[in-house]
Amino acid sequence: MLRRLGLGLAVAAAGIAAGFAPAKAEILKIWGPEQITDPVIADLWNGLKADFEKANPGVTVEFMVPTGTISNGAVQAAIQSDAGPDLVLTNSGVGRVGIVAKAGLVVPLTRYYDERGWKAQLYPWLYDTLKGQFGGEIYEIPDGLDVIGVFYHKDMFAEHGWTMPDSYEGFLKLLGEIKQAGIQPLTVGPRNNANGGHLFGNLLQVSAGRQVVGEVLSGKRPWTDPAMVKGAQRLVDLVAADYVQPQMVGLDLDAAARLWFTKRAAMMVAGPWFTNNARKAGFDMANAGYATMPSDIAGESLATGGVGWSWMLPKTSRHPDLALKWLDYILSDAVMTRRASHQSSWMVYPRALSGLKPTQPVLASVFAAADKGVGYNPSVYMPGNVLEAYMQVIQGLIGGQIGAEAGMAQIDGQMQQAAK
Amino acid sequence: MTVLPDSAARRARGGGRLLAGTARPGGEGLRAAIPFLLPAVGLYALFTLLPIADTLRLSVTASDTGAGAAAGGGLQNYARLAGDPIFWQALRQTVVWLVLHLVFAGGLGFALALAISGLKVGRIFYRCAFFLPHVVSLAVVGVIWSKIYDPYFGLINGALYTLGLDSLARGWLSEPFLVLFSINIASSWQGFGLYMLLFIAGLQGIDRTLYDAAEVDGATAVQTLRHVTIPGLREVMTFVASLALINGLKGFATIWVMTQGGPFYRSELLTTYIYKLAFQLQDHGRAAALCVVLSLMAIAITVGFNRWRERVR
Repeated sequence: MLRRLGLGLAVAAAGIAAGFAPAKAEILKIWGPEQITDPVIADLWNGLKADFEKANPGVTVEFMVPTGTISNGAVQAAIQSDAGPDLVLTNSGVGRVGIVAKAGLVVPLTRYYDERGWKAQLYPWLYDTLKGQFGGEIYEIPDGLDVIGVFYHKDMFAEHGWTMPDSYEGFLKLLGEIKQAGIQPLTVGPRNNANGGHLFGNLLQVSAGRQVVGEVLSGKRPWTDPAMVKGAQRLVDLVAADYVQPQMVGLDLDAAARLWFTKRAAMMVAGPWFTNNARKAGFDMANAGYATMPSDIAGESLATGGVGWSWMLPKTSRHPDLALKWLDYILSDAVMTRRASHQSSWMVYPRALSGLKPTQPVLASVFAAADKGVGYNPSVYMPGNVLEAYMQVIQGLIGGQIGAEAGMAQIDGQMQQAAK
Repeated sequence: MTVLPDSAARRARGGGRLLAGTARPGGEGLRAAIPFLLPAVGLYALFTLLPIADTLRLSVTASDTGAGAAAGGGLQNYARLAGDPIFWQALRQTVVWLVLHLVFAGGLGFALALAISGLKVGRIFYRCAFFLPHVVSLAVVGVIWSKIYDPYFGLINGALYTLGLDSLARGWLSEPFLVLFSINIASSWQGFGLYMLLFIAGLQGIDRTLYDAAEVDGATAVQTLRHVTIPGLREVMTFVASLALINGLKGFATIWVMTQGGPFYRSELLTTYIYKLAFQLQDHGRAAALCVVLSLMAIAITVGFNRWRERVR
């Protein structure tokens, strides 16, 4: 009797073991998302992680808190560390992606665009842009697009009877009026680089136009092109008029944003992600307005930007197949709609999502600006060695250490060196 | 009395000779020591000698992608460095940084050690309080001091505006001639606590009767400092100076957190430039060459300083 019972138990145990044995445990380490330590953002991503793990038994997704970006070398250091991520989500753009692609730190994803249907999940123009960057190879999947323009306080503008003008001359007049009212017209935080590039990119766009900036970035024109120098000179002039203050070189993005959130500054050039900074700072964006910087060139009052954040597959990924599975999941309609509807959402997604209402009113203006087309934010389009010079020159222009022509010549010198 | 067996006695005698430095190479004592030395030597070779050798190799072989041979090979990376104006600027600024660190951190440590040693009560409290910044990581120090230096909301400018001293308010991290000085203060604030403790330990080692004798002779405080305290601290000062020089050469974290070498390269040091070359620009060859230059600089400064100290002695 006992023997029979034992045999039965053994058979049952074997059956259970065969039927319910967990798949081989795998950990998918993901670099990002940015601000995963923010509870609101963590809420979204932990939900996505739980659903992915449920659909893939034996898999655990781990988010690594990013310690930086490609621009400051943190991503490269992580990939080369032997304990690095299996998948990276970080700030991108052809310049940044080019750094890791050229160094062989990330693998091409081109063939998966057809094999896994990713091509159909992006705006066609976006796919074409990616295809044209590295001789046909694609090293990234765009996660979000940047649309950089001018944020302002609608209530402050209404109180003083200010409106966003439609010419650069008018814009300068407006800055003068704001200054006279005892308010700092513009704030910028170039100390940790990126935000200086946002303002400068806008100035280049409205001074030179999309086509010229694009030709400069692709090496067809020099950085010393008069239209580009004009953009740099406009920054110098803004500083000379005290519309941008030289001590702002000592501000990072957060410190510059604080000037705007406290209404000590009237305007700040930033992207849709700025609404997230505001939420974290406890600032209500209900009265925030967004406009593109006015230009004297017809049709060139455009936001700047391009691919802002991308997924990349490190060559050191221990679970490339699992990483590809995660990318399929992220690109799915269900996940993208879920992300876009979440309270933390501020992104312009890489494909049209119908029937979605922006989570904040100001984002409607951002999306409308994106529909008009986006100019180039040079920060994300230039090679790495040029980028460092570019950012330092912007600081030098604001700090008065270099003039417009000399600054652009310095960037051009780096550009020529990179082309060799 | 314990009688050792012959072999044990020989080993003991061999060990004694080895310690006295008289053992012949390949002798029994050395053979006995090798198994004990191997783990330490192995770890040292793995984590110190091997990376040094690899850096040397990279400096003469790697191209700007870190992947292949440098164009022109050999000393090409060194030649590129020599023609790079940012390298020379970073080199000059590193020397300035070094001197500032020695003066601020070393000087403040010395002054506070003297002040605390003269206290009748609260010595332990002040010792702990002044040492506290040293346990804070340099990255955190960088963040804290960035807030202090904020030109609009920072503590320093805020205090100056409150006191009506608006003209003294500065862009501490934006003005080209201030930025290195400002960051160095932050970095030295983190470092001086250790030097202070070393000086306090040195002060405690000075024979008290020398102070009594100076007092009896009617020496002033300055004379006592000059003729008793400073000579008594000579060894500690040498050690602190060497330590401060080496720590100064390693200055990186605070700069990286506060300015990343800006504005317009005005706080670029060799260390920050190495990081940029290696990890931002993936120019491993030039970064390795710069590492070699920095190491040679550290060796030259340390050797030079120690020779000077011997001569002075």
